[in-house]
Amino acid sequence: MNYFIEQLTNGLIIGGIYALIALGYTLIYGVLQFLNLAHGELYMMGSFFGFFTMVALGGPATAVVPIWLMIFLMFVVAMGGGALLGVAVERFAYRPLRKSRRLAALISALGVSLFLQSAALLLFGAKIRLYDTGMFINLRTGFNIGTARIDITEVLVVLLSVTLMIVLWIMVNRSQFGRAMRAVAVDQDAAVMNGIDVDRIVVITFALASGLAGAAGVMAGLLLFPVDQYMGLFAGLKGFTAAVLGGIGSIPGAMLGGFILGVVEAMVTGYLNPTYADFVAFVILIMVLLIRPRGLLGQPLVGKV
Amino acid sequence: MTSVGAIAALGLVLSGCAGGSDSTSSETTDAATAEETAAETATEEAAIICEGAIAVMAPLTGGAASIGQEQLNFAKLAVEDFNAANGSAYTLIESDTQLDAGQASTQATSIVSDSSIIAVVGPAGSQEVSAVGPAFADASLAFVSASATNPDLTNGDNATFFRVIPTDAVQGPTVAEYMVNELGADNVVILQEKTDYGVGIAKSASEALTGLGVTAEVIAVPEEKKTYDDIVSKIGEDVDVVFVTFQIAAKSEQVAQSLIKAGKTAVVFGSDGSFAAEFKTPGSYTAAFAPDVKGIPAAADVAARFSEQYGEFGTFGPPVYVASQAVMQAAQLACEAGSLDRAAVLAQMPNVLISDSILGGDIAFTSDGNVDGARFYIFSIDESGSPVLVQ
Amino acid sequence: MSESDNQDSTSRGIGTDEWVAQHEARITQPTTALGKLADRWALLPLPVQWGLPLIVVLLIPFTTTSDYVLRIGVNLGLFIMLVIGLNLTVGYAGLLDLGFVAFYGFGAYFYAFVSSPQFGISWPSWISLPFVVVVTAIIGLALGTPSRRLSGDYLAIATLFFGQMFLVLAISSDAVQFPWMDEPIDITGGPNGIPNVDQISFLGFEFTSTLSYYFLLLGIVVLGIIATRRIHNSRQGLAWRSMGEDELAAQHMTVPVVRMKLLAFSVGASIAGLAGAFFASVQMGVYPSTFKLPLLIMLYAALILGGLGSVPGLLIGAVVMVVLPEILRFPDYSNYLFLVTLIIGSIVLIKSWKLVVAIFAATIAVGFVANAIFLVAGVPYLPIDEWIEGPLAPVLGTWIFIPEERLVFGNIAFVLLIVAIAWMTTRSRRVRLIAFPFVLWLTVFTWEVRLLLEPSVTRQLLIGALLVVLMAARPQGLFGKPRVEVL
Repeated sequence: MNYFIEQLTNGLIIGGIYALIALGYTLIYGVLQFLNLAHGELYMMGSFFGFFTMVALGGPATAVVPIWLMIFLMFVVAMGGGALLGVAVERFAYRPLRKSRRLAALISALGVSLFLQSAALLLFGAKIRLYDTGMFINLRTGFNIGTARIDITEVLVVLLSVTLMIVLWIMVNRSQFGRAMRAVAVDQDAAVMNGIDVDRIVVITFALASGLAGAAGVMAGLLLFPVDQYMGLFAGLKGFTAAVLGGIGSIPGAMLGGFILGVVEAMVTGYLNPTYADFVAFVILIMVLLIRPRGLLGQPLVGKV
Repeated sequence: MTSVGAIAALGLVLSGCAGGSDSTSSETTDAATAEETAAETATEEAAIICEGAIAVMAPLTGGAASIGQEQLNFAKLAVEDFNAANGSAYTLIESDTQLDAGQASTQATSIVSDSSIIAVVGPAGSQEVSAVGPAFADASLAFVSASATNPDLTNGDNATFFRVIPTDAVQGPTVAEYMVNELGADNVVILQEKTDYGVGIAKSASEALTGLGVTAEVIAVPEEKKTYDDIVSKIGEDVDVVFVTFQIAAKSEQVAQSLIKAGKTAVVFGSDGSFAAEFKTPGSYTAAFAPDVKGIPAAADVAARFSEQYGEFGTFGPPVYVASQAVMQAAQLACEAGSLDRAAVLAQMPNVLISDSILGGDIAFTSDGNVDGARFYIFSIDESGSPVLVQ
Repeated sequence: MSESDNQDSTSRGIGTDEWVAQHEARITQPTTALGKLADRWALLPLPVQWGLPLIVVLLIPFTTTSDYVLRIGVNLGLFIMLVIGLNLTVGYAGLLDLGFVAFYGFGAYFYAFVSSPQFGISWPSWISLPFVVVVTAIIGLALGTPSRRLSGDYLAIATLFFGQMFLVLAISSDAVQFPWMDEPIDITGGPNGIPNVDQISFLGFEFTSTLSYYFLLLGIVVLGIIATRRIHNSRQGLAWRSMGEDELAAQHMTVPVVRMKLLAFSVGASIAGLAGAFFASVQMGVYPSTFKLPLLIMLYAALILGGLGSVPGLLIGAVVMVVLPEILRFPDYSNYLFLVTLIIGSIVLIKSWKLVVAIFAATIAVGFVANAIFLVAGVPYLPIDEWIEGPLAPVLGTWIFIPEERLVFGNIAFVLLIVAIAWMTTRSRRVRLIAFPFVLWLTVFTWEVRLLLEPSVTRQLLIGALLVVLMAARPQGLFGKPRVEVL
């Protein structure tokens, strides 16, 4: 039982990161019916931004500011930088294609992905970075659930991801522009006719989604994921899987999908063979799609004739 | 409008290509004949410039870019140093394979077709070596790898293959013996990463451990895995040693930190891929095929200059320096004997002897292409995170 | 109004003025230089249109002794086979198959199973090749069957995961433990793949040289193109195309959608499978690293760049995606290509010859001013022969100044360049023209100082940028028709 809880907590913690990335996918898809395949690269950039912030503030071992402030600034820079980058990508790569066929935008997204990876390789160099969290946080501080050890970075990650999700949920469902976002998601042309500035909504959506991806990047770094230019591919695929599992276009769906995916992976790794973790996740996903083609919490697809 | 530019440019380039390849081949034929006449008169004249191109096949982009770029930079340094010391004019041509055997196979045809290339350093991966072996053998092109450790590669399938590092068949028993005899481990878990490198060394270590009476549990881990907390949860409280087979040292560090987080006492023991600055958890161990490059007097200078220009390095770079030296030495011998071409370089490879190499000790090749008298060294990581030679 | 397009102005209908009458002609008449070129080309008789490129391709092996060029040709041939198969599934039947590369892999692996020491089987080619085709067709059917219920994005997602599953299976199946066996068996060789695969041989002729594969694939590709064109106008083809346009409408027009979907999957899969078998034979081995997402991306890029559903389009797209990255590997060629593209691109963008001359002059001036600034600031620089040689050296060497700290200056210049270009696209034409010389100089500076240092990385950068720019400029691809997506 203890072992089960251990793996469960492992899964939920990683699931939080997947959920954040999935949220980004779902937000953009919901508003634009567009799969932003370059989303993973924004997560990668966020991770690098956070790393460089950490180094600028004295590096893992000799920080010149209090640790909590350093971590806070890392998140701020990563989220802000990610948001800025996301908005720029939308403005220059996707906006010209908004009225064209979907495949063209997909190819453009893939081009952006390649471009960002290569640019990061040129600018940052090929060396793999590690956040070395153990050097500024004592990894033994934490608490136990049974034999499952939750250390303080994991607590931070979970709290932050859940907070961000709640904040997003509130923004989308309770605020003015959240309503506008939902209006654009339902019918772009009708939204325009109702006086909604679609461009502005799209920009805000991308900023939010990319900011979340940036935050996920720092979280991953804090959890000691290796930071390299190709980490976005992995994250993109996971986040995308999670978003689809939960129902792409649905915010609670993305959260649910992320956590489920994390737990499934941990369970398969823990009880079966780690190499089949991805395989089983895909099988589950396909089975879910066959039974509920719209995902777990997705809206029913009404095809427009 | 922009597409016109692209199309027109493409057309120009295609025509330039046809013209370009002609000019390259005519350049090199001229150069080759010039070389021969120069070589013939070499006995009379004092200084001939020995020159040729050396292709470096490495994963310069893609997931293993950190390894490949380090290898390329060491190769560049080696060429600089050798040219400075011997008055030669060897040049480097880089060839990105992304550790993909298919790309390596295509790049092999490119290299074979470029007659200015007299030898190859690389490729980095064992599957790539299999993919390019036949092509290079047909072209009598010697190729020296600094990181392909699959023992089967030198069983005759790849006639012109050499390597400067010992194989998995040597590493496995070395680490197993240390674990059992020095560390007294009787409960060992092997994390087998699903790469050609990881599978090979895991098998070798596992067999060696079984031979010593310790049955190791092998956990297969996919290459894309980013977090190892769930794997660490599988590792029991009474496991003594976790043998990790990663090529990226950062992953070994992750596992070590994760074990600390989980409060487990198991010690992480890395294969040679873990020998890098990122792996610094005190109390861990790692294998390497050279005593610490920074510690060897002959190597200290090279290490310092590399760090100054390119930054930190790990385990995959220094052997490339030696591999480059090996091919350039063979080329130099061929040049002094009168003819500098691929077959001559290949013929001189058995005569290569690099004394006091930066890998510690002399480097020479056995008849099947392996490096002579190679052994593995064991390091432990001390309190400050630096490796200390223990065996 | 549409009745007036083929009539002269004297016979247009009452109440229709000349401008309106010419509307149809105006919107179908190509306006860009490329469009006009394509139009003139289309006027040539069909045999010439196809025969000319064919002759060029046939002659290439005789113009070069380089095995590399032939190997690129072989890779191109394989790639075109894959794109033809993809075109069938995506371009005609409108099924977004993101797992297509898995069929390529299945074909390669199944061929390796029956033609290598892996299981000790070595079937002759006239059995193994049809075997591979049939097996992959069945797998295509197997993928298609559960996908009946899915459409659009969800189908894409399901197929994407199918592709990923294949990869996981291929890498992990080197120690598969069946319950009835004592020892695990090695099925796919895991990450090491399956080496020592036999090469195909027909009627006693063994395909061992690159040249032989070149002509083999050329033949297959020609057959594939002919077949595609036949299908295009056949009953099946029309059914597929109508399905691709609008599945619901097609269903109502009695198109057996389910059957056609399955057929599309199977045929596309079997083409990919056959290509896989050829690939295994050329490479004399199968390694899982080939069948990853980047290959899929290249396939789709080629298809979209050329314009979905268009055969000449996919050929050109394939050439761009296969040949261009190889050219860009060589610093010399990529240097020429870059500078030529820059010059032609500037001419095309600026449009007026007088302005072009003025701007180039201004750019040269900016260059010298920048050099002066660097010199005055005392920035150490590299002598000309350390960074360039050949005919371009005297031209570029005096005009561009390479600081010793290439990485630092290069990176800063790179970031500035991206920001500058982005900024420029938001400004008016006047501002753009004024900024042009500076940006042009900055581009050359960045290129020579930084980007040329790492050709392997730069070529990926350029391909990514190319995809973005081409899609923004011409989303329908080269030969596609402009479409507006109605959601």
